[in-house]
Amino acid sequence: MSSVIKSWADAEDEIPQPEVTTNPDGTKTVISYRLNTKGQKVKITQKIKEVKVQERVHPSIAIRKNWSKYGKEKNTPPGPDTRTTQLGEIVELNLGTSWKEVEKQEEEAQEEKKLQNVQRIKCRICGGEHFTSKCPFKDTLGAEAAANELANAEAAAAQDGGDDGSMQNGKYVPRHMRRDASGNLPVQQGRDDSTTLRVSQLNNIVDEDMLRNELFARYGPLQRVTVVRDRDTGDSRGFAYVAFASEGLAEQALNELNGKGYHSLILHLEWSKKKK
Amino acid sequence: MRPIKLMGHERSLTQVKFNREGDLIFSVAKDNAASIWYSSNGERLGTLEGHRGTIWSIAVDLETKLCATGSADLSIKLWDVSTGECVYTFDMPTPVRRVEFSPDNKKLLAVTDQVMGQIGTITIFDINYEDVYNQNAEPSLVITTREDAKKVSVAAWTANGKYIIAGHEDGYISKYDGTTGAFIETVQAHGIHNTETNLLVTDIQLAPEDQSYFITACKDKCSVLIDVETFQILKVYKTDAPMNTAAITSKKDFVILGGGQEARNVTTTAESQGKFEARFYHKIFIDEIGRVKGHFGPLNTIAAHPDGTAYASGGEDGYIRLHHFDKSYFDFEYDAERTERAIASGAT
Repeated sequence: MSSVIKSWADAEDEIPQPEVTTNPDGTKTVISYRLNTKGQKVKITQKIKEVKVQERVHPSIAIRKNWSKYGKEKNTPPGPDTRTTQLGEIVELNLGTSWKEVEKQEEEAQEEKKLQNVQRIKCRICGGEHFTSKCPFKDTLGAEAAANELANAEAAAAQDGGDDGSMQNGKYVPRHMRRDASGNLPVQQGRDDSTTLRVSQLNNIVDEDMLRNELFARYGPLQRVTVVRDRDTGDSRGFAYVAFASEGLAEQALNELNGKGYHSLILHLEWSKKKK
Repeated sequence: MRPIKLMGHERSLTQVKFNREGDLIFSVAKDNAASIWYSSNGERLGTLEGHRGTIWSIAVDLETKLCATGSADLSIKLWDVSTGECVYTFDMPTPVRRVEFSPDNKKLLAVTDQVMGQIGTITIFDINYEDVYNQNAEPSLVITTREDAKKVSVAAWTANGKYIIAGHEDGYISKYDGTTGAFIETVQAHGIHNTETNLLVTDIQLAPEDQSYFITACKDKCSVLIDVETFQILKVYKTDAPMNTAAITSKKDFVILGGGQEARNVTTTAESQGKFEARFYHKIFIDEIGRVKGHFGPLNTIAAHPDGTAYASGGEDGYIRLHHFDKSYFDFEYDAERTERAIASGAT
């Protein structure tokens, strides 16, 4: 190696000089190396054929072609600099008196194509471009396909049991949503908020006991009473959720107490969950 | 057609020009350096650095030895094109809106702005080629704006420097004698084709072949072809947007117009409504025959290659787009033209 390696750490990153070999048919093969974006060394083999194109130009143009660059371009190598000179996208110039109509037609054609791409229909039975229910092969192929589908589903279910149900079609299923031993999916148990009222514009001094024993004592027994509090200070934020024993009681409370005063503030009651 | 994007300027373009052979493109923008490019491949030959303000205009002489730039920093600079060296600076009382060499290379015309208490003028300097570093700072001729006319926005020489054509702020075009500066005649070219109120003439370019007629561009959304000698309006090209520039192509009987809605309104509308396309009109049949998209701001300046093989457009977006025409461009003919040619060839 002719060049002196300054540091052994750098030796790995060094890129070999490009090799140029001349082929018997007049072409050249250039083998060069470069690092790609991942930092891996890539070998590039290019086969180059040099063609000289002669052009006759005005002598003054030929002279100007050899001028050296100046200004901001002073030290740049010959040839266009990609920082200032780039090829643009191809633009169409369709000359003609009716160019407007031609352009419009083209645009329409493109739009149509787009629409077609979006609305592509695929039949589940034969794969044609129509709805499954309108498939002409529904009677002949349909029964078979349906049977196949059923068989596939069963096979999939069997597989699920095998690997603990944690993977379904290669997709991760969280534990609480997996099938149990008998193959049943867990039931989603949400809180039933149909009997809950949201009570707002409460005075800060009001707490759960006051709500339970003073304000809503007439509508008891109450399931839950929660005053929403600031997480840091523990002060009431001025609203609470109250769950009643039945929806009727809740409605009664809503009708009778909404807009009434309580500890110098006017109460505002509403269903905690919007009624459908 | 695959355009070459020239991205050497940082601000919107004010003028682009080809030299006589069409191998170099000269461009100036609102930043303070001019750029010179090879038209064949878009390579930048260099930049001309030295102005301290917007450069409004650039001109190049026939031999491509000197070029002149007129700037808003109250100066005109002469440059050696081969080295990029500033050889002389003319100090001016106002910003310079337009510079142009006379066809015999001996004079330089400059349009000074009517601001700062000054009267707008067309000022003419003699250019000394023997010793380019030593120019006469005193103008040889000053044509001040006539009392009955509005200020001059653009001006150009006609063939052999016989006349000076000036475009005014109010849509009038005037003709002055090129040697004495005497006023000859004026014509209202704009403001008579529609009801637009902004009538600023934005560009004047002469026909490349014999300079016997010229085209004007105007903010009134029209472009007009006028004969130099008779000063009659020959053709009117009507568009749907204010025009900033117009060029006449050689080889094909087309004119290229450029413009678009005002730069200050650009952000309020979609690109497709901005009308930022170069428009091709047939010079004789005055039909719009095509458009070229690409810029995303109004076109400020268009220059056609003297051989008619390419054109360059500079936009408010700060880019120059250089288009070399395809074969289909040269093949295009009207049916009338084709039949006429067939008859002519049949007769011979």
